[in-house]
Amino acid sequence: MFLAFKEMARAKVRFALLIAAIALLVFLILFQQSLQNGLITGFIGAIREQSAPVLVYSVDGQRVLQGSVITPAMEEQIRAAPGTGEVGLIGQGTFTGLPSGNADGESFDTTIIGYELGPDGSGIGSPTNVIEGRLPVADDEAVVSDADVRLGYDIGDTVTLLPGGKTIEIVGIAANAQLNVAPTLFASYDTYLDAVASVNPDAGTPLPNVLGVIPADGFTPAQAVASINDQSLDLDALTRDDAAAETPGVAQVQQSFNIIFLLYGLVVPCVTGLFFLIVTFQKANSLTLLRAIGAPAGRLVSSLLIQVVVIVGAGLALGTLLYYPLSQGALGGIALDFETGAVIFWSVLLLTLGLVSSLVAARRVLAIDPIEATTGQGVGS
Amino acid sequence: MKLALTELRRRPGRFSAAAVILTLIAILLMFLGGLLDGLIASSTGAIRAQDADAIVYSDTAQASFVRSRIEPQTRAAVEAVPGVTEVGGIGNVQLGARIPGKGPRDLAGVALFGYEIAPTGVPDAPPAGQAWADDVLEADGVEVGMIIEVGPARTPIEIAGFVNDTTFNGQASLWASPDTWREVLSANRPDAQLGPDVWQALVVRGDGADLPALIDAATGGATTSFTVDDAINETPGIQEQTSTFNQIIGVTIAIALVVIGLFFALLTVERTSLYGVLKALGAKSSTIFAGLVAQAVVLTAIASLIAGTLVVLLQLLLPPGSIPLLITPGRIILSTVLLLVAAVLGCSFSLRRVLRVDPASAIGTTS
Repeated sequence: MFLAFKEMARAKVRFALLIAAIALLVFLILFQQSLQNGLITGFIGAIREQSAPVLVYSVDGQRVLQGSVITPAMEEQIRAAPGTGEVGLIGQGTFTGLPSGNADGESFDTTIIGYELGPDGSGIGSPTNVIEGRLPVADDEAVVSDADVRLGYDIGDTVTLLPGGKTIEIVGIAANAQLNVAPTLFASYDTYLDAVASVNPDAGTPLPNVLGVIPADGFTPAQAVASINDQSLDLDALTRDDAAAETPGVAQVQQSFNIIFLLYGLVVPCVTGLFFLIVTFQKANSLTLLRAIGAPAGRLVSSLLIQVVVIVGAGLALGTLLYYPLSQGALGGIALDFETGAVIFWSVLLLTLGLVSSLVAARRVLAIDPIEATTGQGVGS
Repeated sequence: MKLALTELRRRPGRFSAAAVILTLIAILLMFLGGLLDGLIASSTGAIRAQDADAIVYSDTAQASFVRSRIEPQTRAAVEAVPGVTEVGGIGNVQLGARIPGKGPRDLAGVALFGYEIAPTGVPDAPPAGQAWADDVLEADGVEVGMIIEVGPARTPIEIAGFVNDTTFNGQASLWASPDTWREVLSANRPDAQLGPDVWQALVVRGDGADLPALIDAATGGATTSFTVDDAINETPGIQEQTSTFNQIIGVTIAIALVVIGLFFALLTVERTSLYGVLKALGAKSSTIFAGLVAQAVVLTAIASLIAGTLVVLLQLLLPPGSIPLLITPGRIILSTVLLLVAAVLGCSFSLRRVLRVDPASAIGTTS
């Protein structure tokens, strides 16, 4: 151990460069992990965090909330399906919203999800995780996603829809309830209808985009889904989790990030392994001499492994430190979170891979024959 | 430098591990860049194809077609702007399309445009009920003359022919007459229908250095106009995607720089005594350093070549509709150039050590 630290102290630049490379890689991996999770949460959080266990789209909607239209005939089929309990209309549109709380007077793409309010504001499709304030109990009130508060969508603020000038007051905040990575308001179904009419006077009355369904007693969500889909080839019922996971774009985002993570994950052990292999070659003569004067091979290998653990550990710590402040903010409209699970997962994985990659160098050390000290040859020969 | 290149040729094994790492980093750079290009291309092809000097949206639309409404009087104001030579309306609606021969739940996403001024590569509007289709629909089995049904109203559209590189929001585009577009819009999305002569946006041709600003001034701020390039950048999400990817690419290049610097610093340490001999024989520090740079450049060029080949293969192997990867020669060249710059800069870590090599150290060294 003494040797390991002495060597690192005497070759600071070399080891510092390796730590810097690993730290940058760790930082990028963790940042992109947050970006992926933030992107997916911002994209479909509102679907995951609403109360309907089953959502029924039209097949034409291709599992996009705004793209789906439920005709009266479809609605009848859904209500008639065995397994259907309560049904609620859900509408969704994207508008230009001007929040009163934004100091710069900036306007934003704003998603409105309209659902049929119950007496206390809950209803099929209402947000499930209100962390501040309350649910809307009347028209022109809304709950906003927590990621949007920093843009000026806070409790007590109003959002003016442009053009038309319809205003909606924010009365509550729900966690992780964005849709399409834009400020998202949950309001009454009538508020949604009014919003559509206010921005486009030529518009006809919109049909609901999807129906939220609570399965009848004795039916699971999966059974209700199967039953509704059996009614018509035009209906596309999905459980809440499936509706979120199968929204177009989610799978592509995950696939793209998986390839990126794989490549970054490969670079870390390659860089670590190459570094220690070269260093082992370079100190071959010294290692041979140490073996000749009685140093056991195990001690030399453990010295190498200690260096790997210290260097990779320092890279992980530095990378995580770089990542921490970034993970507290937002990128564009995407709210980032510090992903503790990701930090632990990648730390264990990269440390393991770093140790595995250094086994090549360790093998070289074990192959040293002390007799070579008398010939001047080391492991590098 | 000749010595350095000879070493590369005769002892490739010494450099192979570094080449593998550089290849991985080059693949990462090209993949990230290709992903960015693919996302932008698939989102904005229909805008990029516009042969226009300005695209005009209503002032609150945030460069979104579906949220924009241009009234006839606004259009008249635009037409009266000095320098404006041609004005055409444009609008779209995104729907699912049923394709003959495919399953009843297997729909293709399409963005049907109605237009008055033909974009580049798109012929004039076909007769009512027909549309030009983006050729990405060929992968779904769409053929010329085929009738597809769009939207919940199953409005029939006959494919008149194919056009290229006009996708929009990741969906294949259909290009139809204004009447066809209005009919499809009203039948399928009554909540988005527009009155007669109302358009979502205008495509404007004309002269003048700052046509978009002139138009917005003439309409009294009722419009927000962009050049085609600006309209692409203003499309929701594009700027965020571009800046995020560019930051990731920037850090990846920094990693390449550190890795190259680390590798050649180690090589330099290993060769200190050899450099002493070379200096004792009269070699200049600049010659030795140039040799290092040459090795780094060759190594990076080889890694980039392998990476370029692999990402092109990856693009060919990816099924249509999966990852929006677009690998272009420009992206490969740009990534290679960035890596070469990183390689040269990375080598400069070793410059100080090369300069410090004392020729006298050659005396008494054996290796």
